[in-house]
Amino acid sequence: MTGVILRRLIQLPIIVGAVFLITLALAWGIPGNPLENPEGRRPPPEIAEAMKAQYNMDSFWSFATSYVDRATGARWLRARLSGEHERRDAEAIAAGLAPPDRYVFDLGPSLQYRDRTVNEIIGSSLPVSATLGLAAILIALVIGLAAGVIGAIRPNSPADVATLTLALIGISTPTFVAGTLLLLLFSVLIPIFPVASWGSPRDIILPAITLSLPFAAYIARLSRVGMIEALSSDYIRTARAKGLPERTVILKHALKNAFLPVLSYLGPATALAMTGSFVVERVFTVPGLGQHFVSAVQNKDLFLIMGIVVVFSTMLILFNLAVDVLYRWVDPRIS
Amino acid sequence: MLRAFVPILLLIVALAISLAGDRPTPRADFTFINRGEVNTLDLQRMSWMQDLRVGRLLFEGLVQQDVFDPDYAIIPAAAESWRVTEDGLVYTFHLRDNLKWSNGKPVRASDFLFAWRRLLLPDTGGDYVRQLQLIRGAEDFTNWRLEALAQAARGDGPTGSELWADTLAKFDELVHARAPDDRTLIVTLDHPAPYFLDLLAMPPFFPVYPPLVSQYERVDPITGRLIIESGWTKPGHIVTNGPFLLKTWRFKRDMRLRANPLHRLYDTLAIRTIAIPTVDDANAMVLAYRSGAADWVTDVVAPYRGDMYQQKLAFIREHQAEYDALKSQGLDEIEIARRLPDDPRNHLHVLPVFGTYFYNFNCSPRLADGRPNPLADARVRRALAMMIDKRAIAEGVRRVGEPVARTLIPPDSLAGYTAPAGLPCISDMHTQADRDTLIAQARSLLAEAGFPDPSKMPAISILFNKDGGHDLIGQSIASDWQRHLGIPVNIDQKELKIFREDLKNKNYMVARAGWYGDYGDATTFLDINRIGDENNDRNYQNPAYDDLLRRASLEPDPRARLDLLQRAEAMLVEVELPFVPLFHYCNIFLFNAHKVSGINAHPRQTQNVYLIDILGDGKGPDTPRSTPPRRNGDAK
Repeated sequence: MTGVILRRLIQLPIIVGAVFLITLALAWGIPGNPLENPEGRRPPPEIAEAMKAQYNMDSFWSFATSYVDRATGARWLRARLSGEHERRDAEAIAAGLAPPDRYVFDLGPSLQYRDRTVNEIIGSSLPVSATLGLAAILIALVIGLAAGVIGAIRPNSPADVATLTLALIGISTPTFVAGTLLLLLFSVLIPIFPVASWGSPRDIILPAITLSLPFAAYIARLSRVGMIEALSSDYIRTARAKGLPERTVILKHALKNAFLPVLSYLGPATALAMTGSFVVERVFTVPGLGQHFVSAVQNKDLFLIMGIVVVFSTMLILFNLAVDVLYRWVDPRIS
Repeated sequence: MLRAFVPILLLIVALAISLAGDRPTPRADFTFINRGEVNTLDLQRMSWMQDLRVGRLLFEGLVQQDVFDPDYAIIPAAAESWRVTEDGLVYTFHLRDNLKWSNGKPVRASDFLFAWRRLLLPDTGGDYVRQLQLIRGAEDFTNWRLEALAQAARGDGPTGSELWADTLAKFDELVHARAPDDRTLIVTLDHPAPYFLDLLAMPPFFPVYPPLVSQYERVDPITGRLIIESGWTKPGHIVTNGPFLLKTWRFKRDMRLRANPLHRLYDTLAIRTIAIPTVDDANAMVLAYRSGAADWVTDVVAPYRGDMYQQKLAFIREHQAEYDALKSQGLDEIEIARRLPDDPRNHLHVLPVFGTYFYNFNCSPRLADGRPNPLADARVRRALAMMIDKRAIAEGVRRVGEPVARTLIPPDSLAGYTAPAGLPCISDMHTQADRDTLIAQARSLLAEAGFPDPSKMPAISILFNKDGGHDLIGQSIASDWQRHLGIPVNIDQKELKIFREDLKNKNYMVARAGWYGDYGDATTFLDINRIGDENNDRNYQNPAYDDLLRRASLEPDPRARLDLLQRAEAMLVEVELPFVPLFHYCNIFLFNAHKVSGINAHPRQTQNVYLIDILGDGKGPDTPRSTPPRRNGDAK
């Protein structure tokens, strides 16, 4: 087990590095000037050129090397060793000002939101997306497992058909449709939940339900198949032959095995849900990370694109690793 | 068995921890949705509408616009008075006594010079650098700095701190702006510009606190460039001089402001706290208002806003007599709404603004792919412009009451300026015979330009960006040209950034465009058609036009100057047609005029949010603020 974890952790920077290079090459090729307000007046061309130099965007390699320099902490270390940070902090304090914020792993400034660093954007948005994602996965687990078990107990019964149909609707309904309907119903017609608000548990319910629907549907199908397989296995027959009550057979013996395929799905699903959903975040005005990736690509906000990609890929690898570890722990038969 | 569900328990614990770390904030005195997140509060790098609106709350310039004056008079702000020499070139400003930054330090005249130097430096990348180059020597300074940086890059000049010291000295030497003492500022212009004060009322020309901003700027020792870091605009760091202070700014979530006790207006403010939640989704903005979460939506862009406007019209029809009577008194739309019964349909306010939607014609002799460009001939452009059914676009596609445009500058938006008549279009013709005559004229123009059979013309490609309803307008125009002239038309839809790049590279034939004026003068619209102007996406090159603008810039008599500018505009919209104006923009607000006062209907669209008063809350005067009817008695 320790060997597996170590091997995967060693692979992590290599994979993230490869993802970084491929994404940067793709993002660099997006047409358009990331430093230009797309709807406003255009600054003189010489000013536009000066701005390019400001962000080391003269060439692909100057951008890539300066990015790596700051993102790996090398730049921070140099400034630290030369005493530049201390000097500037002392100047600020002497002028009665708060010293500037600094980051060791500096992912750069956002080109669109010029007052923000990518670290700040990710730092403020990721916890929001994580909260929403965790809530969505929990709701998806409760709904999905219940629907899967109900369907599996009596395959092809009306209850099974109903849960399968609901799962199909859950997978196929676009989240902007489901989200808008929920918003109209429970925020405007029956004003139970607030609009354009984030911070209290009440704000999370509607977006979490919307985000959970496709996950719930998939979990329902996975757990139904796992449960049917478990219920037809020898140890369940033995349990029934021993005269155990059906509820005990299902909940104590079958459910564990039915849950295993769901568990393996939980890693990528949780990573996906926690990194946010552009549509759900936009419809419910959730200040999460999902919306940034899409808008960063539209704006060609190179620093933000790269920062989010690095965070997303790291999260995906770590969550898959966590699930593998849990999987082995839950079922030690798996080598 | 229990082991299997440990992952679920872990999820529950993680969720509980996330929730515990986040708490909602109490409701503010006034909440408004400001069309998306603020991009920057760094004044010299600001140009988005939502940024400028917040900039006016947090900072204060020398002067400000009286937004409730029908002629948009300029009134004192940080400067208590100013004097202009007779030749209109030298401005002397006297700052108020006891002006303070939010940290208690005095605001000095040199703080303005620091901000202006910052804007003029190419290192800052300010969008409004050209406007400040009105100051004598300012353009020379920017050019000197560009050349010095280029020299440093080549390795044949001073670098690092030496270059920076030279830059500071050069600013003092070249730029004719001086602060002889802490309360006096003397500025000399390159040529008379009656709009200079109006310009100074814009946030990019407001001061910043030098000790703070300097902390976030450093000179690169190798290249000599000024590296500007973000961070000084964050709560806890930012130092401001406006009527409100920045208390919190949670990215893409909300911004909260509190009245500034060190500002002279503090005792007169009718609201003490302002919340600005970030809502990007067009539908969520409207729902937020309807559910009471917001008092004002500054820009209703929901796809069903046309239906909302139709409901408003239905409401007006129900109160037509009363509406007409109020209108005849010269009251603006907001004041009329306030005097009509309170009805949710009447919370929508469609207000004309200082902007125009138009279609660019590429005037280059050849297209980007090397083919000859049929649109290089003004006769072709005129023929195409005449065949557009502008009324169908304004009333059938947009459906929000935007007026059909025949000029670039919205008529009646500038005091003293008379708009030219413009070129008639097919929707101006009221009978079939008139329409047929106009079509015959257009065909004749095409024949003169070498296209006797328009159906054999090279296909015309219309370029626009995705979203925003531009596709429907493009289809409408394509249909007009095909139906009336038989010209083959292609439609080309691209992402916004790619669209902008194509415009810049003149890689198009016909493209959608729009322009909002920045300051109260015709040149804010006309300058973009000058030869070499970076916003001349049409590649329109007409020395006679440029000469009119040049003569206007030297003309000391204001009346004669406006006449020259009017002739220049007439040349554009009646003869040359490098673009065809389609409609003038309207801003669509959502707020209850019975509850909120302080929002104005002036076409220049500047809103000073610190003037807001929630009516009937017992705070502030509780007397609605409104724009008096125009002095000449004409209702707009």
